Amino acid sequence: MNEERYEENPQNVTEAEMVVAIPSYREAKLIAYPTSQAALGLKRYFRDKKYVLINCDNNSDDGTKEAFFGAETEDVPQIYISTPPGVRGKGNNFRNLFRKVLELKAKAVVVVDADLKSITPQWIKHLGEPLFNDFGYVSPLYVRHKYDGTITNSIAYPMTRALYGRRVRQPIGGDFGFSGDLARIYLASPTWTEAVSQFGIDIWMTTLAMNNNIPICQAYMGRPKIHKPKDPGADLGPMFAQVVGTIFDLMLHNTGYWMQVKWSKPTAIYGFGLGEVEMPPPVKVSEGKLAQNFRDGFDKYQDIWRKVLTPDNMNKVLEIGQLPDEHFDFPTQLWAKLLYDFASSYHKEVADKDEVLASLIPLYFGKTLSYVRKTARMSVQQAEEFIENECMVFEETKPYLLERWGA
Amino acid sequence: MAKILIVDDEEHIRFLYSEELSDEGYEVVTADSGYQLLERIEQEKPDLIILDIKMVDYNGLDLLQDIRNKYYDLPVILCTAYDTFKEDMKSIAADFYVIKSFDLTELKNKIKMALETSMPSKEG
Repeated sequence: MNEERYEENPQNVTEAEMVVAIPSYREAKLIAYPTSQAALGLKRYFRDKKYVLINCDNNSDDGTKEAFFGAETEDVPQIYISTPPGVRGKGNNFRNLFRKVLELKAKAVVVVDADLKSITPQWIKHLGEPLFNDFGYVSPLYVRHKYDGTITNSIAYPMTRALYGRRVRQPIGGDFGFSGDLARIYLASPTWTEAVSQFGIDIWMTTLAMNNNIPICQAYMGRPKIHKPKDPGADLGPMFAQVVGTIFDLMLHNTGYWMQVKWSKPTAIYGFGLGEVEMPPPVKVSEGKLAQNFRDGFDKYQDIWRKVLTPDNMNKVLEIGQLPDEHFDFPTQLWAKLLYDFASSYHKEVADKDEVLASLIPLYFGKTLSYVRKTARMSVQQAEEFIENECMVFEETKPYLLERWGA
Repeated sequence: MAKILIVDDEEHIRFLYSEELSDEGYEVVTADSGYQLLERIEQEKPDLIILDIKMVDYNGLDLLQDIRNKYYDLPVILCTAYDTFKEDMKSIAADFYVIKSFDLTELKNKIKMALETSMPSKEG
Protein backbone atom coordinates (compact mmCIF):
# COMPACT_ATOMS: atom_id res chain seq x y z
CA MET A 1 0.00 0.00 0.00
CA ASN A 2 1.26 3.48 -0.82
CA GLU A 3 0.03 6.80 0.52
CA GLU A 4 -2.90 7.09 -1.84
CA ARG A 5 -3.59 3.57 -3.00
CA TYR A 6 -4.06 0.11 -1.60
CA GLU A 7 -3.43 -2.63 -4.16
CA GLU A 8 -3.81 -6.38 -4.49
CA ASN A 9 -2.17 -7.80 -7.59
CA PRO A 10 -2.16 -11.57 -7.05
CA GLN A 11 -0.85 -12.43 -10.53
CA ASN A 12 1.81 -9.72 -10.24
CA VAL A 13 0.85 -8.07 -13.53
CA THR A 14 3.45 -5.44 -14.43
CA GLU A 15 2.50 -4.62 -18.04
CA ALA A 16 -0.72 -4.70 -20.06
CA GLU A 17 -1.73 -3.20 -23.41
CA MET A 18 -5.41 -3.31 -22.58
CA VAL A 19 -7.17 -2.61 -19.28
CA VAL A 20 -10.81 -3.03 -18.42
CA ALA A 21 -11.62 -1.09 -15.26
CA ILE A 22 -14.69 -1.25 -13.04
CA PRO A 23 -15.03 1.59 -10.54
CA SER A 24 -17.11 0.77 -7.48
CA TYR A 25 -18.34 1.62 -4.05
CA ARG A 26 -20.33 -1.01 -2.21
CA GLU A 27 -21.29 -3.03 -5.29
CA ALA A 28 -20.78 -6.52 -3.86
CA LYS A 29 -24.16 -7.67 -5.13
CA LEU A 30 -23.71 -6.55 -8.74
CA ILE A 31 -20.01 -6.37 -9.64
CA ALA A 32 -19.55 -10.06 -10.48
CA TYR A 33 -21.70 -9.86 -13.62
CA PRO A 34 -19.92 -6.96 -15.42
CA THR A 35 -16.60 -8.48 -14.31
CA SER A 36 -17.33 -11.85 -15.95
CA GLN A 37 -18.75 -10.21 -19.10
CA ALA A 38 -15.67 -8.00 -19.37
CA ALA A 39 -13.42 -11.03 -19.01
CA LEU A 40 -15.32 -12.77 -21.82
CA GLY A 41 -14.95 -9.67 -24.00
CA LEU A 42 -11.19 -9.54 -23.43
CA LYS A 43 -10.72 -13.22 -24.19
CA ARG A 44 -12.94 -13.16 -27.25
CA TYR A 45 -11.87 -9.92 -28.94
CA PHE A 46 -8.42 -9.01 -27.61
CA ARG A 47 -6.75 -12.39 -27.39
CA ASP A 48 -3.60 -11.08 -29.10
CA LYS A 49 -3.12 -8.41 -26.41
CA LYS A 50 -1.84 -8.54 -22.86
CA TYR A 51 -4.80 -7.53 -20.73
CA VAL A 52 -5.95 -7.14 -17.17
CA LEU A 53 -9.16 -6.45 -15.25
CA ILE A 54 -8.97 -3.76 -12.57
CA ASN A 55 -11.49 -3.01 -9.88
CA CYS A 56 -10.99 0.58 -8.62
CA ASP A 57 -12.81 0.72 -5.33
CA ASN A 58 -13.45 3.05 -2.42
CA ASN A 59 -12.45 0.53 0.24
CA SER A 60 -15.98 -0.92 0.29
CA ASP A 61 -16.95 -2.74 3.46
CA ASP A 62 -19.62 -4.93 1.85
CA GLY A 63 -17.36 -7.52 0.20
CA THR A 64 -17.01 -5.80 -3.21
CA LYS A 65 -13.36 -6.89 -3.46
CA GLU A 66 -14.21 -10.52 -2.69
CA ALA A 67 -17.08 -10.47 -5.21
CA PHE A 68 -14.73 -9.04 -7.86
CA PHE A 69 -12.05 -11.68 -7.26
CA GLY A 70 -14.73 -14.36 -6.98
CA ALA A 71 -16.30 -13.61 -10.38
CA GLU A 72 -15.86 -16.13 -13.21
CA THR A 73 -13.07 -14.60 -15.31
CA GLU A 74 -11.53 -17.65 -17.02
CA ASP A 75 -8.00 -16.86 -15.83
CA VAL A 76 -8.01 -13.23 -16.99
CA PRO A 77 -5.63 -11.52 -14.52
CA GLN A 78 -7.20 -9.22 -11.96
CA ILE A 79 -5.98 -6.30 -9.89
CA TYR A 80 -7.82 -4.63 -7.04
CA ILE A 81 -6.91 -1.05 -6.13
CA SER A 82 -8.57 1.12 -3.53
CA THR A 83 -8.51 4.56 -2.05
CA PRO A 84 -7.46 4.59 1.63
CA PRO A 85 -10.19 4.05 4.25
CA GLY A 86 -12.49 7.06 4.47
CA VAL A 87 -11.60 8.41 1.01
CA ARG A 88 -14.66 8.16 -1.23
CA GLY A 89 -15.48 9.37 -4.72
CA LYS A 90 -15.69 7.94 -8.21
CA GLY A 91 -13.12 10.47 -9.41
CA ASN A 92 -10.63 9.36 -6.75
CA ASN A 93 -11.00 5.82 -8.09
CA PHE A 94 -10.21 7.10 -11.56
CA ARG A 95 -7.15 8.98 -10.36
CA ASN A 96 -5.82 5.70 -9.00
CA LEU A 97 -6.70 4.09 -12.31
CA PHE A 98 -4.86 6.73 -14.39
CA ARG A 99 -1.69 6.12 -12.35
CA LYS A 100 -2.01 2.37 -12.71
CA VAL A 101 -2.59 2.69 -16.45
CA LEU A 102 0.67 4.59 -16.82
CA GLU A 103 2.54 2.08 -14.65
CA LEU A 104 1.23 -0.77 -16.81
CA LYS A 105 2.03 1.20 -20.02
CA ALA A 106 -1.47 0.42 -21.27
CA LYS A 107 -2.51 1.66 -24.73
CA ALA A 108 -6.25 1.26 -24.21
CA VAL A 109 -8.56 1.45 -21.21
CA VAL A 110 -12.22 0.52 -21.14
CA VAL A 111 -14.36 1.47 -18.14
CA VAL A 112 -17.74 -0.04 -17.34
CA ASP A 113 -20.05 0.61 -14.41
CA ALA A 114 -20.20 -1.92 -11.60
CA ASP A 115 -24.01 -1.95 -11.49
CA LEU A 116 -24.50 -2.81 -15.18
CA LYS A 117 -27.03 -5.51 -15.88
CA SER A 118 -27.10 -5.31 -19.68
CA ILE A 119 -23.39 -5.43 -20.54
CA THR A 120 -22.28 -8.00 -23.12
CA PRO A 121 -18.75 -8.99 -24.20
CA GLN A 122 -19.32 -6.88 -27.34
CA TRP A 123 -19.40 -3.73 -25.22
CA ILE A 124 -15.72 -4.32 -24.43
CA LYS A 125 -14.99 -4.81 -28.13
CA HIS A 126 -16.85 -1.68 -29.20
CA LEU A 127 -15.42 0.56 -26.49
CA GLY A 128 -11.91 -0.84 -26.90
CA GLU A 129 -11.27 -1.48 -30.59
CA PRO A 130 -11.42 2.16 -31.76
CA LEU A 131 -8.56 2.92 -29.34
CA PHE A 132 -6.30 0.71 -31.47
CA ASN A 133 -7.49 2.59 -34.59
CA ASP A 134 -6.43 6.18 -33.96
CA PHE A 135 -9.27 7.22 -31.67
CA GLY A 136 -8.34 8.52 -28.23
CA TYR A 137 -11.73 8.61 -26.54
CA VAL A 138 -14.76 6.38 -27.06
CA SER A 139 -18.12 7.38 -25.70
CA PRO A 140 -21.09 4.99 -25.52
CA LEU A 141 -24.20 5.21 -27.65
CA TYR A 142 -27.07 3.28 -26.22
CA VAL A 143 -30.79 3.49 -26.46
CA ARG A 144 -32.02 4.92 -23.17
CA HIS A 145 -35.55 5.46 -22.04
CA LYS A 146 -36.62 9.03 -22.74
CA TYR A 147 -36.84 9.71 -18.97
CA ASP A 148 -33.51 8.06 -18.11
CA GLY A 149 -30.56 10.43 -17.93
CA THR A 150 -32.38 13.75 -17.65
CA ILE A 151 -29.26 15.63 -16.46
CA THR A 152 -27.58 14.38 -19.62
CA ASN A 153 -30.49 15.33 -21.85
CA SER A 154 -31.20 18.79 -20.49
CA ILE A 155 -27.75 19.98 -19.37
CA ALA A 156 -24.67 17.85 -20.02
CA TYR A 157 -25.31 17.02 -23.69
CA PRO A 158 -26.61 20.39 -24.94
CA MET A 159 -24.07 22.38 -22.93
CA THR A 160 -20.95 20.42 -23.94
CA ARG A 161 -22.14 20.32 -27.53
CA ALA A 162 -22.77 24.07 -27.71
CA LEU A 163 -19.61 24.93 -25.78
CA TYR A 164 -17.03 22.61 -27.31
CA GLY A 165 -18.62 21.90 -30.67
CA ARG A 166 -18.57 18.12 -30.55
CA ARG A 167 -21.77 16.05 -30.47
CA VAL A 168 -21.20 13.41 -27.82
CA ARG A 169 -24.63 12.09 -26.86
CA GLN A 170 -23.66 10.46 -23.55
CA PRO A 171 -20.95 12.66 -22.06
CA ILE A 172 -21.63 11.22 -18.58
CA GLY A 173 -22.56 7.72 -19.72
CA GLY A 174 -20.29 5.96 -17.22
CA ASP A 175 -19.04 3.39 -19.74
CA PHE A 176 -16.29 4.51 -22.10
CA GLY A 177 -12.82 3.96 -23.46
CA PHE A 178 -9.71 6.14 -23.45
CA SER A 179 -6.11 5.82 -24.54
CA GLY A 180 -3.07 5.59 -22.33
CA ASP A 181 -1.93 8.93 -23.77
CA LEU A 182 -5.15 10.54 -22.62
CA ALA A 183 -4.64 9.08 -19.12
CA ARG A 184 -1.37 11.04 -19.03
CA ILE A 185 -3.22 14.24 -20.03
CA TYR A 186 -5.81 13.59 -17.31
CA LEU A 187 -3.15 13.15 -14.63
CA ALA A 188 -1.32 16.30 -15.66
CA SER A 189 -4.42 18.50 -15.87
CA PRO A 190 -4.49 21.42 -13.44
CA THR A 191 -8.32 21.40 -13.47
CA TRP A 192 -8.84 18.68 -10.84
CA THR A 193 -11.33 19.73 -8.15
CA GLU A 194 -13.21 18.16 -5.25
CA ALA A 195 -16.27 17.80 -7.53
CA VAL A 196 -14.14 15.99 -10.13
CA SER A 197 -12.97 13.57 -7.45
CA GLN A 198 -16.63 12.63 -6.99
CA PHE A 199 -19.32 12.42 -9.72
CA GLY A 200 -17.87 15.28 -11.77
CA ILE A 201 -15.31 12.84 -13.19
CA ASP A 202 -17.30 11.67 -16.25
CA ILE A 203 -18.06 15.12 -17.66
CA TRP A 204 -14.50 16.21 -16.80
CA MET A 205 -12.98 13.36 -18.80
CA THR A 206 -15.25 13.94 -21.80
CA THR A 207 -14.63 17.69 -21.75
CA LEU A 208 -10.86 17.31 -21.52
CA ALA A 209 -10.94 14.91 -24.48
CA MET A 210 -12.89 17.54 -26.45
CA ASN A 211 -10.79 20.56 -25.66
CA ASN A 212 -7.53 18.68 -26.19
CA ASN A 213 -8.81 17.81 -29.68
CA ILE A 214 -8.52 14.10 -29.03
CA PRO A 215 -10.20 12.11 -31.85
CA ILE A 216 -13.51 10.97 -30.37
CA CYS A 217 -15.86 8.30 -31.60
CA GLN A 218 -19.15 7.03 -30.26
CA ALA A 219 -19.58 3.29 -29.96
CA TYR A 220 -22.96 1.72 -30.48
CA MET A 221 -23.65 -0.70 -27.63
CA GLY A 222 -26.65 -2.42 -29.19
CA ARG A 223 -28.41 -2.96 -25.88
CA PRO A 224 -29.91 -0.34 -23.60
CA LYS A 225 -28.06 0.59 -20.45
CA ILE A 226 -29.82 -1.27 -17.69
CA HIS A 227 -28.61 -0.39 -14.23
CA LYS A 228 -30.05 0.89 -10.99
CA PRO A 229 -32.75 3.24 -12.31
CA LYS A 230 -33.54 6.62 -10.81
CA ASP A 231 -36.76 8.64 -10.84
CA PRO A 232 -35.89 12.05 -12.38
CA GLY A 233 -38.11 13.68 -9.74
CA ALA A 234 -36.32 12.06 -6.82
CA ASP A 235 -33.65 13.72 -4.69
CA LEU A 236 -30.57 14.35 -6.81
CA GLY A 237 -28.12 14.25 -3.95
CA PRO A 238 -24.73 15.87 -4.52
CA MET A 239 -24.41 14.50 -8.06
CA PHE A 240 -26.19 17.44 -9.70
CA ALA A 241 -23.90 20.05 -8.16
CA GLN A 242 -20.80 17.96 -8.92
CA VAL A 243 -21.67 17.49 -12.59
CA VAL A 244 -22.96 21.00 -13.27
CA GLY A 245 -20.26 22.59 -11.10
CA THR A 246 -17.63 20.76 -13.13
CA ILE A 247 -19.15 22.00 -16.40
CA PHE A 248 -19.05 25.57 -15.07
CA ASP A 249 -15.53 25.21 -13.59
CA LEU A 250 -14.19 23.91 -16.89
CA MET A 251 -15.79 26.85 -18.70
CA LEU A 252 -13.52 29.10 -16.64
CA HIS A 253 -10.44 27.11 -17.62
CA ASN A 254 -11.35 26.74 -21.28
CA THR A 255 -12.82 30.14 -22.10
CA GLY A 256 -10.34 30.73 -24.92
CA TYR A 257 -11.42 27.47 -26.52
CA TRP A 258 -15.21 27.49 -26.30
CA MET A 259 -15.52 31.15 -27.24
CA GLN A 260 -14.06 30.27 -30.65
CA VAL A 261 -16.45 27.37 -31.25
CA LYS A 262 -19.33 27.97 -33.63
CA TRP A 263 -22.01 25.31 -34.20
CA SER A 264 -21.04 21.68 -33.72
CA LYS A 265 -19.73 18.61 -35.49
CA PRO A 266 -20.64 14.93 -35.30
CA THR A 267 -18.23 12.15 -34.40
CA ALA A 268 -17.46 8.89 -36.13
CA ILE A 269 -19.72 6.03 -35.08
CA TYR A 270 -18.44 2.54 -34.35
CA GLY A 271 -20.10 -0.81 -33.85
CA PHE A 272 -23.15 -1.60 -35.93
CA GLY A 273 -24.60 -4.86 -37.11
CA LEU A 274 -25.80 -6.01 -33.71
CA GLY A 275 -29.22 -7.04 -34.90
CA GLU A 276 -32.55 -5.73 -33.76
CA VAL A 277 -32.44 -2.82 -31.35
CA GLU A 278 -33.62 -3.75 -27.88
CA MET A 279 -35.88 -1.17 -26.26
CA PRO A 280 -35.01 0.13 -22.79
CA PRO A 281 -37.20 -0.65 -19.77
CA PRO A 282 -39.63 2.07 -18.69
CA VAL A 283 -38.56 4.69 -16.15
CA LYS A 284 -41.17 5.88 -13.70
CA VAL A 285 -41.47 9.61 -13.24
CA SER A 286 -43.48 11.50 -10.66
CA GLU A 287 -44.81 14.66 -12.28
CA GLY A 288 -46.22 15.73 -8.93
CA LYS A 289 -42.79 15.63 -7.31
CA LEU A 290 -41.23 17.54 -10.20
CA ALA A 291 -43.90 20.24 -9.98
CA GLN A 292 -43.59 20.49 -6.20
CA ASN A 293 -39.79 20.70 -6.30
CA PHE A 294 -40.02 23.44 -8.94
CA ARG A 295 -42.54 25.49 -6.99
CA ASP A 296 -40.64 25.09 -3.69
CA GLY A 297 -37.70 26.84 -5.32
CA PHE A 298 -39.58 30.15 -5.48
CA ASP A 299 -39.64 30.48 -1.69
CA LYS A 300 -36.16 29.18 -1.14
CA TYR A 301 -34.09 30.64 -3.95
CA GLN A 302 -35.84 33.67 -5.41
CA ASP A 303 -33.27 36.04 -3.87
CA ILE A 304 -30.39 34.18 -5.49
CA TRP A 305 -32.21 33.91 -8.81
CA ARG A 306 -32.53 37.71 -8.85
CA LYS A 307 -28.74 37.96 -8.54
CA VAL A 308 -28.04 35.29 -11.13
CA LEU A 309 -30.63 35.97 -13.83
CA THR A 310 -31.19 39.03 -15.97
CA PRO A 311 -34.38 40.91 -15.05
CA ASP A 312 -35.96 39.78 -18.30
CA ASN A 313 -35.25 36.10 -17.63
CA MET A 314 -36.29 36.45 -13.99
CA ASN A 315 -39.65 37.80 -15.10
CA LYS A 316 -40.09 34.86 -17.44
CA VAL A 317 -39.37 32.43 -14.61
CA LEU A 318 -41.94 34.21 -12.45
CA GLU A 319 -44.48 33.90 -15.29
CA ILE A 320 -43.83 30.17 -15.55
CA GLY A 321 -44.31 29.87 -11.80
CA GLN A 322 -47.79 31.31 -12.17
CA LEU A 323 -48.88 28.97 -14.95
CA PRO A 324 -51.59 26.52 -13.98
CA ASP A 325 -50.43 22.89 -13.99
CA GLU A 326 -52.36 21.99 -17.12
CA HIS A 327 -50.61 24.74 -19.14
CA PHE A 328 -47.16 24.30 -17.67
CA ASP A 329 -44.41 24.96 -20.21
CA PHE A 330 -40.70 25.74 -19.87
CA PRO A 331 -39.48 27.00 -23.27
CA THR A 332 -36.15 25.59 -24.41
CA GLN A 333 -34.68 28.93 -25.37
CA LEU A 334 -35.40 30.29 -21.90
CA TRP A 335 -33.78 27.18 -20.38
CA ALA A 336 -30.66 27.73 -22.51
CA LYS A 337 -30.51 31.39 -21.45
CA LEU A 338 -30.96 30.47 -17.79
CA LEU A 339 -28.09 27.99 -17.95
CA TYR A 340 -25.94 30.60 -19.65
CA ASP A 341 -26.94 33.12 -16.94
CA PHE A 342 -25.99 30.60 -14.26
CA ALA A 343 -22.64 29.83 -15.91
CA SER A 344 -21.81 33.55 -16.22
CA SER A 345 -22.90 34.33 -12.67
CA TYR A 346 -20.94 31.37 -11.32
CA HIS A 347 -17.92 32.75 -13.15
CA LYS A 348 -18.50 36.23 -11.69
CA GLU A 349 -19.25 34.83 -8.23
CA VAL A 350 -22.37 36.93 -7.72
CA ALA A 351 -23.22 34.63 -4.81
CA ASP A 352 -21.77 31.61 -3.03
CA LYS A 353 -21.03 29.03 -5.75
CA ASP A 354 -22.63 26.14 -3.88
CA GLU A 355 -25.80 28.16 -3.39
CA VAL A 356 -25.85 29.17 -7.05
CA LEU A 357 -25.70 25.49 -8.02
CA ALA A 358 -28.34 24.51 -5.45
CA SER A 359 -30.67 27.23 -6.72
CA LEU A 360 -30.51 25.80 -10.24
CA ILE A 361 -32.03 22.50 -9.12
CA PRO A 362 -35.69 23.63 -8.84
CA LEU A 363 -35.46 25.22 -12.30
CA TYR A 364 -34.02 21.96 -13.63
CA PHE A 365 -37.01 20.13 -12.14
CA GLY A 366 -39.32 22.58 -13.89
CA LYS A 367 -37.57 22.03 -17.20
CA THR A 368 -37.72 18.27 -16.67
CA LEU A 369 -41.45 18.45 -15.98
CA SER A 370 -41.95 20.37 -19.22
CA TYR A 371 -39.85 17.79 -21.11
CA VAL A 372 -41.83 14.90 -19.61
CA ARG A 373 -45.12 16.52 -20.65
CA LYS A 374 -43.96 17.37 -24.18
CA THR A 375 -42.52 13.93 -24.85
CA ALA A 376 -45.23 11.91 -23.12
CA ARG A 377 -46.66 10.54 -26.35
CA MET A 378 -43.36 10.34 -28.19
CA SER A 379 -41.43 7.20 -29.03
CA VAL A 380 -37.80 6.94 -27.93
CA GLN A 381 -36.78 7.98 -31.45
CA GLN A 382 -39.09 11.01 -31.48
CA ALA A 383 -37.81 12.07 -28.06
CA GLU A 384 -34.26 11.84 -29.46
CA GLU A 385 -35.21 14.21 -32.27
CA PHE A 386 -36.79 16.54 -29.73
CA ILE A 387 -33.50 16.62 -27.79
CA GLU A 388 -31.52 17.22 -31.00
CA ASN A 389 -33.73 20.22 -31.74
CA GLU A 390 -33.17 21.51 -28.21
CA CYS A 391 -29.42 21.26 -28.78
CA MET A 392 -29.76 23.41 -31.89
CA VAL A 393 -31.51 26.02 -29.73
CA PHE A 394 -28.53 25.97 -27.34
CA GLU A 395 -26.17 26.51 -30.28
CA GLU A 396 -28.30 29.30 -31.74
CA THR A 397 -28.46 30.98 -28.31
CA LYS A 398 -24.69 30.83 -27.75
CA PRO A 399 -24.12 34.50 -28.75
CA TYR A 400 -26.17 35.35 -25.66
CA LEU A 401 -23.63 33.45 -23.52
CA LEU A 402 -20.73 35.31 -25.15
CA GLU A 403 -22.44 38.59 -24.37
CA ARG A 404 -23.27 37.66 -20.76
CA TRP A 405 -19.84 36.18 -20.06
CA GLY A 406 -18.04 39.32 -21.14
CA ALA A 407 -20.53 41.83 -19.72
CA MET B 1 -15.35 29.61 -52.64
CA ALA B 2 -16.03 26.21 -51.14
CA LYS B 3 -16.07 23.07 -53.27
CA ILE B 4 -19.09 20.76 -52.91
CA LEU B 5 -19.29 17.14 -54.03
CA ILE B 6 -22.84 15.96 -54.80
CA VAL B 7 -23.32 12.17 -54.66
CA ASP B 8 -26.70 11.14 -56.05
CA ASP B 9 -27.82 8.57 -58.61
CA GLU B 10 -30.72 10.71 -59.88
CA GLU B 11 -29.60 12.90 -62.75
CA HIS B 12 -32.24 15.58 -62.28
CA ILE B 13 -31.23 16.03 -58.63
CA ARG B 14 -27.57 16.38 -59.56
CA PHE B 15 -28.53 18.89 -62.24
CA LEU B 16 -30.81 20.92 -59.96
CA TYR B 17 -28.35 21.04 -57.07
CA SER B 18 -25.42 21.84 -59.38
CA GLU B 19 -27.25 24.73 -61.02
CA GLU B 20 -28.53 26.26 -57.82
CA LEU B 21 -25.36 25.82 -55.80
CA SER B 22 -23.18 27.12 -58.65
CA ASP B 23 -25.40 30.19 -58.73
CA GLU B 24 -24.61 30.64 -55.03
CA GLY B 25 -20.95 30.74 -55.97
CA TYR B 26 -19.92 27.24 -54.90
CA GLU B 27 -17.67 25.11 -57.04
CA VAL B 28 -19.67 21.93 -57.66
CA VAL B 29 -18.57 18.46 -58.72
CA THR B 30 -20.83 15.42 -58.92
CA ALA B 31 -20.75 11.64 -58.65
CA ASP B 32 -23.57 9.40 -59.84
CA SER B 33 -22.88 6.57 -57.40
CA GLY B 34 -20.86 5.64 -54.34
CA TYR B 35 -18.40 3.69 -56.51
CA GLN B 36 -14.85 4.47 -55.41
CA LEU B 37 -16.16 7.44 -53.48
CA LEU B 38 -13.19 7.62 -51.12
CA GLU B 39 -10.81 7.81 -54.10
CA ARG B 40 -12.97 10.52 -55.61
CA ILE B 41 -12.84 12.49 -52.37
CA GLU B 42 -9.08 12.10 -52.34
CA GLN B 43 -8.88 13.52 -55.88
CA GLU B 44 -11.42 16.33 -55.56
CA LYS B 45 -10.73 17.35 -51.95
CA PRO B 46 -14.21 18.79 -51.46
CA ASP B 47 -15.03 21.08 -48.54
CA LEU B 48 -18.44 19.47 -48.14
CA ILE B 49 -20.36 16.44 -49.43
CA ILE B 50 -24.07 16.19 -50.16
CA LEU B 51 -24.89 12.50 -49.97
CA ASP B 52 -28.03 10.71 -51.12
CA ILE B 53 -29.02 8.00 -48.66
CA LYS B 54 -30.80 5.64 -51.02
CA MET B 55 -28.97 4.95 -54.22
CA VAL B 56 -29.62 1.89 -56.36
CA ASP B 57 -26.29 0.25 -55.68
CA TYR B 58 -25.16 1.97 -52.51
CA ASN B 59 -26.44 2.69 -49.03
CA GLY B 60 -25.57 6.30 -48.20
CA LEU B 61 -25.38 5.53 -44.48
CA ASP B 62 -22.67 2.92 -45.08
CA LEU B 63 -20.81 5.39 -47.30
CA LEU B 64 -21.14 7.95 -44.52
CA GLN B 65 -19.40 5.52 -42.14
CA ASP B 66 -16.53 5.09 -44.58
CA ILE B 67 -16.20 8.82 -45.12
CA ARG B 68 -16.30 9.60 -41.39
CA ASN B 69 -13.67 6.97 -40.57
CA LYS B 70 -11.23 8.45 -43.07
CA TYR B 71 -12.20 12.14 -43.03
CA TYR B 72 -13.04 12.85 -39.41
CA ASP B 73 -14.26 16.42 -39.84
CA LEU B 74 -15.34 16.61 -43.48
CA PRO B 75 -18.90 18.02 -43.47
CA VAL B 76 -21.52 15.65 -44.85
CA ILE B 77 -25.16 16.55 -45.43
CA LEU B 78 -27.50 13.62 -45.95
CA CYS B 79 -30.29 14.00 -48.48
CA THR B 80 -33.30 11.76 -48.54
CA ALA B 81 -36.83 11.58 -49.79
CA TYR B 82 -38.06 10.04 -46.51
CA ASP B 83 -37.05 10.70 -42.92
CA THR B 84 -37.32 7.08 -41.76
CA PHE B 85 -33.52 6.80 -42.01
CA LYS B 86 -33.29 8.58 -38.65
CA GLU B 87 -34.19 5.30 -36.98
CA ASP B 88 -30.74 4.10 -38.02
CA MET B 89 -28.20 5.44 -35.52
CA LYS B 90 -25.54 5.58 -38.23
CA SER B 91 -27.22 8.76 -39.47
CA ILE B 92 -25.91 10.76 -36.50
CA ALA B 93 -22.43 10.72 -38.03
CA ALA B 94 -23.76 13.30 -40.54
CA ASP B 95 -23.49 17.02 -39.90
CA PHE B 96 -27.06 17.59 -41.05
CA TYR B 97 -29.81 15.99 -43.07
CA VAL B 98 -32.38 17.53 -45.36
CA ILE B 99 -35.49 16.13 -46.97
CA LYS B 100 -35.24 16.37 -50.76
CA SER B 101 -37.22 19.25 -52.17
CA PHE B 102 -37.20 21.56 -55.17
CA ASP B 103 -36.93 24.44 -52.74
CA LEU B 104 -33.27 24.36 -51.73
CA THR B 105 -33.51 27.03 -49.02
CA GLU B 106 -32.99 24.56 -46.18
CA LEU B 107 -30.16 22.80 -47.96
CA LYS B 108 -28.42 26.12 -48.61
CA ASN B 109 -28.82 27.10 -44.94
CA LYS B 110 -27.35 23.82 -43.77
CA ILE B 111 -24.44 24.13 -46.20
CA LYS B 112 -23.72 27.58 -44.82
CA MET B 113 -23.85 26.33 -41.23
CA ALA B 114 -21.68 23.30 -41.96
CA LEU B 115 -19.05 25.45 -43.64
CA GLU B 116 -19.19 28.04 -40.85
CA THR B 117 -18.64 25.45 -38.11
CA SER B 118 -15.39 26.20 -36.42
CA MET B 119 -13.32 24.79 -33.62
CA PRO B 120 -9.90 25.90 -32.39
CA SER B 121 -7.06 23.60 -33.24
CA LYS B 122 -5.68 23.56 -29.70
CA GLU B 123 -6.73 24.07 -26.11
CA GLY B 124 -7.29 27.78 -25.66
